[in-house]
Amino acid sequence: MPKCTIDGKEIEFSAGENLVKVAKKGGIEIPVFCYHPGLSVVAQCRMCLVEIEKMPKLQTACSTPAADGMIVRTQADSAVKARAATMEFLLLNHPLDCPICDKAGECDLQDNSFGHGSPSMRSTEERRTYVDVDMGPVIQKNMNRCIHCTRCIRFGEEVAGIHEMVAVKRGNNLDITTIDGKQLKTEYAGNYSDICPTGSLTLKDFRFQKRAWMLKKTDTVCEGCSKGCNMEIQQEGNKVYRCVPRENLEINRYWMCDEGRFNYHYTQDPLRITRLKGSAFSPTPHWDEVGMAFKKLANGATVQILIGTDLTLEEMQAIIDFAKTQLPEAKLFHFGTPGVRRTTEDGPLDQILKMKSKTANLNGAELLGLSPLETEIVKAESVVVFRGGRAALPKIDSKNIIGVGVFKESEASGFNMILPSLAFTEKNGTIVNHQGKSQLLKRAVLPVGQCKPLPEILMLVLNAKKREGAGT
Amino acid sequence: MAKILPEVFYNEMKKLEPRYPQRKALILPALHEAQKVYGWLPSDVMDEVAEFIGVHPAQIREVASFYTMYNLKPVGKVHLKICTNVACCLRGADELMDYAEKKLGIKKGETTPDGLFTLSEEECLGACTTAPAMMANDEYVENLDLQKFNDFLERAKK
Amino acid sequence: MRQTLFAQHFGKPSNASLAYYLTAMHGYASARKALSEMTPDQVIEEVKKSNLRGRGGAGFPTGMKWGFIPKQSEKQKYLVCNADESEPGTCKDRQILTYTPHLLIEGLLIGSYAIGCKHAYVYIRGEYTHEAKVFQKAVDEAYEKGFLGKNIFGSPYSLDITLHRGAGAYICGEETALLNSLEGKRGEPRVKPPFPAQSGAFGGPTAVNNVESIANVPFIISMGGEPFAKLGKLDKSGGTRLISLSGHVKKPGVYEIQAGELTLRQIIDDLGGGILNDRKLKAVIPGGSSAPVLTAEEVDVVYDIEPLMKIGTMMGSAAIMVVSEDADLVKLLLRITKFYAHESCGQCTPCREGCQWMESLLHKIVHGHGSTDDLNLLVDVAQNIGGKTLCALGDAAAGPVISFVKKFRPEFEEYIKGAKHHA
Repeated sequence: MPKCTIDGKEIEFSAGENLVKVAKKGGIEIPVFCYHPGLSVVAQCRMCLVEIEKMPKLQTACSTPAADGMIVRTQADSAVKARAATMEFLLLNHPLDCPICDKAGECDLQDNSFGHGSPSMRSTEERRTYVDVDMGPVIQKNMNRCIHCTRCIRFGEEVAGIHEMVAVKRGNNLDITTIDGKQLKTEYAGNYSDICPTGSLTLKDFRFQKRAWMLKKTDTVCEGCSKGCNMEIQQEGNKVYRCVPRENLEINRYWMCDEGRFNYHYTQDPLRITRLKGSAFSPTPHWDEVGMAFKKLANGATVQILIGTDLTLEEMQAIIDFAKTQLPEAKLFHFGTPGVRRTTEDGPLDQILKMKSKTANLNGAELLGLSPLETEIVKAESVVVFRGGRAALPKIDSKNIIGVGVFKESEASGFNMILPSLAFTEKNGTIVNHQGKSQLLKRAVLPVGQCKPLPEILMLVLNAKKREGAGT
Repeated sequence: MAKILPEVFYNEMKKLEPRYPQRKALILPALHEAQKVYGWLPSDVMDEVAEFIGVHPAQIREVASFYTMYNLKPVGKVHLKICTNVACCLRGADELMDYAEKKLGIKKGETTPDGLFTLSEEECLGACTTAPAMMANDEYVENLDLQKFNDFLERAKK
Repeated sequence: MRQTLFAQHFGKPSNASLAYYLTAMHGYASARKALSEMTPDQVIEEVKKSNLRGRGGAGFPTGMKWGFIPKQSEKQKYLVCNADESEPGTCKDRQILTYTPHLLIEGLLIGSYAIGCKHAYVYIRGEYTHEAKVFQKAVDEAYEKGFLGKNIFGSPYSLDITLHRGAGAYICGEETALLNSLEGKRGEPRVKPPFPAQSGAFGGPTAVNNVESIANVPFIISMGGEPFAKLGKLDKSGGTRLISLSGHVKKPGVYEIQAGELTLRQIIDDLGGGILNDRKLKAVIPGGSSAPVLTAEEVDVVYDIEPLMKIGTMMGSAAIMVVSEDADLVKLLLRITKFYAHESCGQCTPCREGCQWMESLLHKIVHGHGSTDDLNLLVDVAQNIGGKTLCALGDAAAGPVISFVKKFRPEFEEYIKGAKHHA
């Protein structure tokens, strides 16, 4: 493998890798703004200027591929001075409103200013200001904070496939905006906020909610569809404040869709059923009573067990095992997305990330040998629905319906009993994406109310049944 | 979308189409041609240009707003662009500009109330050896002095 | 006796006709010779021998530039003529376009043949509407006579030429910005590498040459590379130079001299007829407004690329702007700086922010609110721009600021002291 030397460190690289990447491998961070590994290289911000031996001028590390024997100095006086100058230029017109900016604490401009800029300001000129346009429900625009890195424009064109962010006018009047000030259309708008190196594009959903440094982060996977985009849940005080994508070059690269990003909201919906809920005959049930309800099922002639493809492999297996011993007559089916009953019917919904299956574990359900629910309406004397929270509920025509999992009030109106379980933010478990890749969901927040892990609920049922059985 | 650009635009474009290996290259010529029709570039005209070329309207906005010759607002019947760059400046362009403002009763960047003249400051026109110079619509007027400028205005009013 | 190639044909609009070109200038004989008697490599070799250096500003050897174009290429190769002529002070290409358009067409024909281009583009600045019309007419004539189009002079070689109008942007004189503009994009310079010779217009290998450079090629072919080189008085530059002489001279105009033939002072006095109103010479901007300024004491320099470089300035596009003692250099620098701030494309940080900052600082000084700190800051900002930008516009903006303040500091200090508040 070819080698180059950066700050005295010999680093191996593969052909075509740029100096920013190669330096990173050697643990050397070259500051950047416009460069993003998932976007084309434009070398505009000039933050990554480095000295390269035998080159008369400083070079941008982002646009310079490493070469064998190349000697690079990121700490040469000229490079240090150039970066400080770039920082000064970038802050000339920046409002420096970090105390009220949502980006503060995770802001490249802030970090690089701290690392490479000067603590004092030489400019006394009036700052450039803009009138902001409304970018729609996802993104809050603050053009005064913009440093014209054009990451957003490139993201739109190159990733989201929509040229809606534009650079108009030129020079000092350059404005980064939407076409004719229209609202954003892409269903991937949240990424604009992730890649913006300043607080120019922030999430409306996260606006003034929490300082970034207070958030605790958990690596997990999005449950929004069968893609399995890697993401991070960020919470504080057992409340999720946002989800952001994590890099996984084989699945979602650096991005995620808005549907997945904001999907977590249902887990904190006040209308989510988080307490044991019975029907008219037992308005305030106790966990001890659930055995009775299940015992009634066992005596019934037809029982159907519906398993959401939004559950983890472990949960599905526990249900299968439970049914085998406790409800051997029952028929088991999986359900999730109308029209996408099996993996062969799944496929990309757009050319970016979204898949047709709106649940994460259709593949897992098939691997466990479950069959899909083929009918539009479920007709049985008794039905038990296990659901993670996202699977689309089928119409059920039954007098005795028990729901186990995550439901909203409106979804469970005909149910006789709800045993509240955990949402994806609250549990560990395995899901298998459309490529057959197993990935782990990780618990980011503790269960709320009376919600219990699904295996625990099954165990409670089992114990209660035993107890009641012993009693008769 | 109903077509608003006239036949002459489309005929001109048809002639240019085979001269470029990429359709996008038609953007500058198309905007010139469209501006010839309207004197400026209204949004719906730019949208039609985008549709004709097959690019997103955003691209047309980006391009049109980059170049100073495309008018994104209406201009007067005669658009006077006085060069005030170095060579013209050395030859009295500033005085000429002051005079023009006074004479027309408007500031640079404005249009006379009768819609006849728009006055702009222009960067180097490439008429440095015949300075000071101005552009009036498509025409160069060179070796200007106050008298010559005045004469031009009188002729333009007719 | 001065030998000129172009100047004798300038001045009469009727000289633009094909008839004049064929009779008075042996029109298209060089192209005929190149296409029928020479291989493309021989043409390039001859241009290399001629010491023809780019007339747009950088002074890069034209033959060498053509030599960089790969012989074999899957993609179409292009020759693009830069007729954007936008460096303030420059108006020489306009003369060629107006009075000898066929010379340019013939040069394009020879150059295209040399590099294997089938379609050449002439990118003309948008303001040159009259010049565009004259040139287009010449192109039409050439097509009619079979000098353009299929199987030129009965050879297997075919060429199309298309005139592409810019729309008002100085930066499009930068070759990669020009290519973006040609492709229908914003005129923003591209990141190099790749260089145009590898990937230029429409992704194909491309040579971008200035109008005057290309218009010299027919002479090189007709007289031979070496005799052309000998027209230059110094070693490295061949041929003649068209000089745009403007500002405070009695006879401004476009003049042609043999390269390295005269000093700057001789040009001002002999060609320009001396300083306007017989005032004293104060300063000279010797190569377009981006060239660092010279004082009156420095004008005995031979007017050619190397001698000017040696004294810290440049020949650029050979646009000489003469400044007499009547001019206010502080205001002049503000005007120059304002121009670069106006023309900055805005994509890279030092240029977008820095040019505007320099303008603000100069504005402050001119209006009597500046301090010595501001003046020092101005120079520091210029130094922080120079050499750090994506294209040469940053350097173009920084050079004048640094040189004006260095050489004429007392004039700035007068403003700072409040002695000159009238502005």
